[in-house]
Amino acid sequence: MSSGMRAEEIVPLQIDRMACTGHGVCAQILPRNLTLDAHGYPILLDALVDPDDGDTAIRMCPARALYWKGS
Amino acid sequence: MTPATLNSTGVQLLDSLEAAGLTGRGGAAFPSAVKLRALTRRRTGVIVNACDGELGAVKDGWVVANHRDDLLRGATIVGRLARGQVSFAAHRGSATEERLRRAGVDTLDVPGRYVSSEESSLINFAEGGLARPMTKRPLYIQGGRDSTGRRIPPTVVLNAETVWRIAQIAEHGPEWFRRYGTAAEPGPRLASVGGYVGRPVVIETQAGVPIGDLLAAAHTRSDAEYVLINGLGGAFAPIVAITSSPWSREGLARFDARLGPGIIEVLDPRRCPLDIVGDLLSYASGESAGQCGPCMFGVPELSALWQQFVRSPSARHRRALEVNLGLLPGRGGCKFPDGVAGVARSALAVFSDHIAEHAAGRCRYAARRSS
Repeated sequence: MSSGMRAEEIVPLQIDRMACTGHGVCAQILPRNLTLDAHGYPILLDALVDPDDGDTAIRMCPARALYWKGS
Repeated sequence: MTPATLNSTGVQLLDSLEAAGLTGRGGAAFPSAVKLRALTRRRTGVIVNACDGELGAVKDGWVVANHRDDLLRGATIVGRLARGQVSFAAHRGSATEERLRRAGVDTLDVPGRYVSSEESSLINFAEGGLARPMTKRPLYIQGGRDSTGRRIPPTVVLNAETVWRIAQIAEHGPEWFRRYGTAAEPGPRLASVGGYVGRPVVIETQAGVPIGDLLAAAHTRSDAEYVLINGLGGAFAPIVAITSSPWSREGLARFDARLGPGIIEVLDPRRCPLDIVGDLLSYASGESAGQCGPCMFGVPELSALWQQFVRSPSARHRRALEVNLGLLPGRGGCKFPDGVAGVARSALAVFSDHIAEHAAGRCRYAARRSS
């Protein structure tokens, strides 16, 4: 649902905390939006993520823990 | 917007609930009419939560014990709106579970753990899973898939007291309901008062009464100093500061507490309150469902940092605690870590004088114990 999304329709990125196993791939792909805590779990600093980078992070997350809100 | 499938009795009931201003009595205070309107859109399963999952909670068991027939009538009313199966949830092995079974209703025997009776835990358990919270990626009232892709049918969870109130509103009407409480928090409501009291009680009360009246009803001992309002999801307050305050949103706001599930636990003044908090946090560490990293690591870390801080309240230990507390809220699939962080923050504020005493190497409670 994110492809072709216009800027004014930007949807926040969300983390399924139960699915997340702390691989940290998201923080590599989205360093401006996410950082990791001491245990390796993401701290979401800004959920309004660049749509293309967000799609990449969603695709690359080994735990499938990232999603666009409402999807 | 009310669907055409709803008969006039259903429409009338929803209007009554809206006029009454009933809100969920499990703690979240969500408007019941909004919730029930949503469940009329599709066939929805109903779970009536009588687990009393919060620390010190006893009121839902009290409703089952004392108003069983009204409760069952309320459940029938909700079941008719939802057109789905109705079941009741109680802690396994509790007197409440036994009472529900004897009443012949479908009963979920929920393990007696803290997060087991959280809304999505009950739905998970009812669907054959473990009684652990699920990520609220879909709204389960509409149904959807959980994190593992398992399909969850539309299900609604209602607190037992709420269902009893629905039966009362159906019978006596919204005007009767609004005779109690305040305009903002209308209706009769239950409060449980226990701990360092002469007589632990469930009180049939209402918003707006002085908190001192609730404490007096339980014969709170005169040397008591502090209360914990609403358990692990709540906040502390000094009795002297709240006794004349109203039992209401405004009266409790100053202490970051809410009416919530209506629990007042009076602390034992012979114990150091910082130790009591330590015990609570230690208990909380064992009650994380262990599903979300920030909670399964963060809550035990909070417990350890708290012990360190109260033994030696240095600026460095305080900073470590603050960092941990900042990282707990909003990072779990349920609100358990948020609640625990809130209790710890409240303790830092309410017991600040006593923390200063510890910093000076003293504890007046230790002196009390030895005298």
